Amino acid sequence: MIKNLLHKQIHFSQLLFFALTSSLGLGILLVVLQLFIDTQSLFSSSNDLMGNQNVIVSKELGIDNAFTDEEIEILTQQPFVKKVGGFTNGTYRVRGSVSLAGISGITTDMFLEAIPDSFIDIQDKDWKWTPSSREVPIIIPKNYIDLYNYGFAPSAGLPQINEELIRQIPIQLDLIGSSNRRLYNAYILAASEKINSIIVPQTFLQHTNQLLSPEKEIKISRVILEVTNPSDPSLLEFLAKNNYQYFQNELLSSRISYFLQLVLSIVLGIGILITILSITLVITNINLLILKNKQTISQLYFLGFSQQQIAKVYHNLSYKILAVSIGIALVLTIICKFAFVPFLENLEVKSSAFSIVYVLIAAVILFFILALYYTKHTNKKIKQMTAVNTSLLTTEI
Amino acid sequence: MTIQIQNIHPTYFTPASSEVWSKVFYLEAGQKYLIKAASGSGKSSFFNFLYGLNNKFTGSILYDEDDIASFSETQWTQLRREKISLVFQGLRLFPELTAMENIQLKNQLTNHKTEAEILAALKRLDVDHLVDKKAETLSYGQQQRVAIVRALCQPFELLLLDEPFSHIDEVQIDNATQLILEEIAQRNATLLIASLGDSYNIDYTKTLLL
Repeated sequence: MIKNLLHKQIHFSQLLFFALTSSLGLGILLVVLQLFIDTQSLFSSSNDLMGNQNVIVSKELGIDNAFTDEEIEILTQQPFVKKVGGFTNGTYRVRGSVSLAGISGITTDMFLEAIPDSFIDIQDKDWKWTPSSREVPIIIPKNYIDLYNYGFAPSAGLPQINEELIRQIPIQLDLIGSSNRRLYNAYILAASEKINSIIVPQTFLQHTNQLLSPEKEIKISRVILEVTNPSDPSLLEFLAKNNYQYFQNELLSSRISYFLQLVLSIVLGIGILITILSITLVITNINLLILKNKQTISQLYFLGFSQQQIAKVYHNLSYKILAVSIGIALVLTIICKFAFVPFLENLEVKSSAFSIVYVLIAAVILFFILALYYTKHTNKKIKQMTAVNTSLLTTEI
Repeated sequence: MTIQIQNIHPTYFTPASSEVWSKVFYLEAGQKYLIKAASGSGKSSFFNFLYGLNNKFTGSILYDEDDIASFSETQWTQLRREKISLVFQGLRLFPELTAMENIQLKNQLTNHKTEAEILAALKRLDVDHLVDKKAETLSYGQQQRVAIVRALCQPFELLLLDEPFSHIDEVQIDNATQLILEEIAQRNATLLIASLGDSYNIDYTKTLLL
């Protein structure tokens, strides 16, 4: 009966407005969340486009174009540089040979470099080396495989290979230093789209440099920089001033990714803002519903109904509306998911139904958080409404 | 329940000297008291203090030794359900509900009376034919009688009636006082009636001039 009494002052249009504002905010939040989960692969470091923003810098060609410690220190101190890593060379000759059943040994001169692990876009548990390791993992540039598959293999009548297959090829490294010579077994662990060099774990390079050519100084020929904004004019100015070389192309894709990140951040920011506004609107709506019944509420309270009994009517109402809103928001999210598929495919993002599970979990969590918030707010309002001395009933002298 | 009034005095207006304000006295269980005063002297304020609607007063009110200033919200709710019943001067019926719905709203809190008992009480006050009429369509006198019946639909040890018969004719006043006195006697409750002058043929333990 108390429910009917309190509902008499509430109009359907008000509840509809309540539900719409609530759905709008929740819908935007869930859609953005869904978009973020779906585009996660773009942001992970293994992807060139949206991964860390890296620039590989070298000096002009010449005899002594290694980076000194001071120069690296100066680079590290620049505000636009987040991290600096040096490419270190092997100080020995490298002969790599491949022998497969049916193919007689192919031998080639090559080189080895190393960079700090944090700059490597390959996450693999096998990317490590200790003196007791049986084999040395190697990372080669992706375009080497492309060159082989689309250039060399068809013309030589050889089969094309993929990254899985390439791992199986046994490679023997013959390292010839100034004072020692060693043989190591190696294999290609992966191909990198980011690092245009043949790299081995730093521990391996340090160990072999020390072992084979202990007297030779280790030089840093190129550095890799992780920067906040690759379009930062002060970065370009700094590189030009110091006569440092870099790949224009590399910087261009970095700029695109920076722009994309910016756009997504703005979308998220606006989404959060709209969500906050919609929650504020919902709260205003609850206040309005309670305020309309101010007289009834205080009368009920002073008739012997507890604040909790009165608040419960509003709680049930807001839970129902919240559930409906979340339902609408979920439907919107799923519709958007399918609407986004063609765009995400352009970005080479594989769409999976998995994000819906996350969105569902987020929706349930949101329901509980908002329900709790609305409950607390309603209780507070009812308490205010029924506080001693504030009631309209006390106007009688 | 014994009610002890200790030197209470409202802080938001200055009443003339009286037998209530700034005095110490007791309201005993099973006794009947009349608060007699001119309009505006603070009858409703006194009732509001007793009912916990207003605490803007100095001094203290004790229910069985407990100071009402220390009561929590839950304790007040409990008191209003089971210990104190009040007929507001302004009645405070819900205009959008019928007479019976208004009464049942109060009755359902404790399920104190059956519907038949309620109807019987309404019949004694000659308003039983109005049970399905919305309160807003009733005359003030009819509403007063519905409000009186509503106040009886709960257990209580103190019944506060704030000018309850101002718009009721004498025959119905007699019926109402009879009904009220029976209910009071059943519960051994304290009765406190505020009136502008009439004493409604009740044999009061004490009349307090306010």
